[in-house]
Amino acid sequence: MRRVRDAEAPGSTAGAALDAPLSGEPLIVVRDLWHTYLLGTPLESVALRGATFELAAGEVAAIIGHTGSGKSTLVQHLNGLYRPQRGTVRVLGRDLGDAATDLRAVRREVGLVVQFPEHQLFEPTVGDDIAFGPRKQGHDRPEVRRRVQTGMAMVGLGFEEFKDRYTFGLSGGEMRRVAIAGVLAMEPRVLVLDEPTAGLDPRGRTELLDTLLRLRAEHGIAIVFVSHDMEEVAELADRVWVIAGAMTALSGTVREVFRRADELRGLGLGVPQVTRLMYALRAAGLDVPTDVVTVDEAEVALARVLGDRAGRGDAGDGERRGLAYDAGSGSHIKPRGHFGPNDLAGSVG
Amino acid sequence: MEGTEFLRDVTVGQYLPGTSVTHRLDARAKLVALVLLIWAITSATAYAAGAVLVLTMLGLIVVSRLPVGYVLRGIRPILPVLAVFLVFQLLFAGNYDPSGSPILWTSSAPEPFPFRFTITEQSLRLSIVSIARLLCLLIVTSVLTFTTTTTGLTHGLESLLAPLRRVGVPAHELAMMLAIALRFVPTLAEELERIIKAQASRGADFGRPGRFAFIRRARMLIPIVVPLFISVFRRAEDLVLAMEARCYVAGAGRTRLSPLRMRPLDWAVLLVVAAYVLLMRLIPWPV
Repeated sequence: MRRVRDAEAPGSTAGAALDAPLSGEPLIVVRDLWHTYLLGTPLESVALRGATFELAAGEVAAIIGHTGSGKSTLVQHLNGLYRPQRGTVRVLGRDLGDAATDLRAVRREVGLVVQFPEHQLFEPTVGDDIAFGPRKQGHDRPEVRRRVQTGMAMVGLGFEEFKDRYTFGLSGGEMRRVAIAGVLAMEPRVLVLDEPTAGLDPRGRTELLDTLLRLRAEHGIAIVFVSHDMEEVAELADRVWVIAGAMTALSGTVREVFRRADELRGLGLGVPQVTRLMYALRAAGLDVPTDVVTVDEAEVALARVLGDRAGRGDAGDGERRGLAYDAGSGSHIKPRGHFGPNDLAGSVG
Repeated sequence: MEGTEFLRDVTVGQYLPGTSVTHRLDARAKLVALVLLIWAITSATAYAAGAVLVLTMLGLIVVSRLPVGYVLRGIRPILPVLAVFLVFQLLFAGNYDPSGSPILWTSSAPEPFPFRFTITEQSLRLSIVSIARLLCLLIVTSVLTFTTTTTGLTHGLESLLAPLRRVGVPAHELAMMLAIALRFVPTLAEELERIIKAQASRGADFGRPGRFAFIRRARMLIPIVVPLFISVFRRAEDLVLAMEARCYVAGAGRTRLSPLRMRPLDWAVLLVVAAYVLLMRLIPWPV
């Protein structure tokens, strides 16, 4: 995947035009958040006990964690679907714990794409469904139309081609993009996605991830996404928040978090496959860095190490390129296989 | 829209795991006891009988070790209906009281309408006792669902209906339908919650559009009801496929992992309930 992130100029276009909060204050701050479902009944269950989260302007944050760790509960606080029972949630300078805060205003600026968002579609045609949000905001016809066009363009759906298509005749990936366009048509400053790639085929997944990168690069939209897929996290995120046992267990940049592979494993989580590969190579006696999180980085690191060897006549040119190619082609379309030390022995040694 | 958590207020039909006597009873014993108790409840007409019934129901909650507050919370949504019912019963029943009991109050007829409201001793008693009876019915049925799993209920029902198979009652099919319906109540409630959250995130406002803005209210439901129906059909199709894949044939030689068994305790409880019902019927209540 292209790394659009590097080309991005922070604080461009959309962010500057709107009434930005005091510079320096993050867009979203969550401190010591607690949440109990079915509070006050015999069936109550604690979903969050002291979660922390932060999102800076223009940032992409990933929330990872085991099933049932409270990730979804956390993201549902970010756009005011829940008010904090305990702790603070500040979104764009507004305190959600304050009963006077208008939650609808918060929801306009923080777009939440729920899990399997294609299940929320209800209008017969694509255009009408995407127009739901803008119409609810009370915009006039030309403005609704403009927003539908923008939303569709953002997710790569042609306006003329798709606006009159029958919603329920679309493919799963297309339906999901329509649902996301419906949220984007509200022109949010922050986009929150709960497991956006779950259940998509490899192609739909790659397209969606590209879309997210483009949203941030071209429109300056800050993104929060929940994921189980460590490759996705490494590819997309600037910062990672690890939720375990209903609270924030770890946080930091992608590299900082994935460097703590043992702790992550202890929490039932993993690291990207290339990172595992680097650990395995190191265990096999090859002097490679282990804080490698993407395939591109791995390619550079391996080329360097193998280049050293080639200089000494240990490995041929063709072999080196072959290994780099294998790792590279595996980036998105690969089956979830495992690289074990044994697989590597043949190609490296 | 503030509350997005439905299951918190929907207590009816919920099962609360426990180990009390009521929890351990055979589902068939509980169903028969329920029918007997309903008979006792619906036939009570005296104040004293109503009071005894209400006390019995509270005792039932305590014996089942259910949190009283939680059980009563399930009744709260029905209170406005009961209030309306009480007012109407009070105002109108007296006019048609055939028992000739003394009149307690009658409205002075306003000029254009030759109509009076009358409250007699009998109609007052009927109104108050019927409220108590409705409350008892609600409590006794919720105690049943609080203490019995849905599988237990449907197996019990199927087993009770089994003798009727001879006269063509599809006992197994009925029980299966009931089981599926009950099974999907919480699932659909969750689904509903998900859809409402999704639409609220897209700017839908499920606040109050005004109490009498019926059309606006109905239109607000479209973004919820359409996805919910689609999801129901999708689930139904999945279920059909799953049943087909397991070669399901209604009632064909099915066995149970834990067959129902009537133990001495079950018979004893049934006897006690029967005796209670008979007493309630036979005692000449003074008021």
